[in-house]
Amino acid sequence: MLIYVYCITNKEPNLNGAKELVRGLYFISEQGLYAVVSEEKEEEFDQANLEKNLSNLEWIKQLAVLHEKVIEQIMEQAGVIPFKFGTLFNNEQNLKAMLVEHEDEFKTDLDQLADKEEWGVKVYCDKEKLKQTVDVQNEEIKKIDDEINASSPGKAFILKKKKEELLDVVLSKTLNTYIQESFDQLGQHCEESRLNRVLPKEVTGRKGEMILNAAYLVAKDQVTRFNQEADRLNPDGKEKGISLDVSGPWPPYNFCLPRAKSRGLSANKKINNE
Amino acid sequence: MNNVYNKSKEVSLLEILDRVLEAGVVISGDIVISVANVDLVYLGLRALLSSVETMEKLSGSPKIGPLQEST
Repeated sequence: MLIYVYCITNKEPNLNGAKELVRGLYFISEQGLYAVVSEEKEEEFDQANLEKNLSNLEWIKQLAVLHEKVIEQIMEQAGVIPFKFGTLFNNEQNLKAMLVEHEDEFKTDLDQLADKEEWGVKVYCDKEKLKQTVDVQNEEIKKIDDEINASSPGKAFILKKKKEELLDVVLSKTLNTYIQESFDQLGQHCEESRLNRVLPKEVTGRKGEMILNAAYLVAKDQVTRFNQEADRLNPDGKEKGISLDVSGPWPPYNFCLPRAKSRGLSANKKINNE
Repeated sequence: MNNVYNKSKEVSLLEILDRVLEAGVVISGDIVISVANVDLVYLGLRALLSSVETMEKLSGSPKIGPLQEST
């Protein structure tokens, strides 16, 4: 049997709820740390089967969703360190050795994460819609519009091109300002923030393009303020072409060490939206 | 949680995958599954979902992908 790790906590977890999700769920404790784990069949994770399983998206999906749901259950009882999907140990002894090896890190993490929650913010922009708003509001563009109306077809053609260029500039300025402002404003109500990779449109399936993917570590007593700020930042809904989606509370995936190296940029870095 | 702001509606699969597959503590276990191309997983699952999902969602709002909340 292999041991699959979901998360670590520093309080003896009650697994009654989570066991309804994963039957073989139990915990292994060492040094005051509790690893929430389940037993998995070795065959499922041997070289040949793993390759087969990983090409089976339904398998990945099920495991990923269970991974999250189990951690959410534990999170309701105590602070957690969520593991990345797919960490397994051959036996209890090896897992305990891992707990001993990382004891200080885990305990520091758990202390620092106490009374805090992760919240996610994704901003999407429908550029065509936004263009229409910009179109009406910008003085310079209005001026060109007037000129176009008063010009001969030839001149109007050139002016229209100029207008398109100007629109692009105004658009990217508007977007940059909005992203920077949102990120900064929300940052005032959090302990830490991270910028993550924006996901391509094909992946999100949204009409708008993702222009911000951020994670915030928010103190529990600030959660209401944080969400109010997010509501305030959400521009008059969809007409403007920008929408800001908030999700949470999440297990602190983005704020635990050691984390995936590729994940996230420095939070203080200015955002450049090309 | 006695907070007005809570995960009231079912979060999308995309939100879950965006965390579970891409973030979280990374420890060198005896076996560490690495999903090499996360985008391909997202994409594949989107395709999978849309073929499984009922037509209800699609007919309701044809431009919205199946992975996001429809309301």
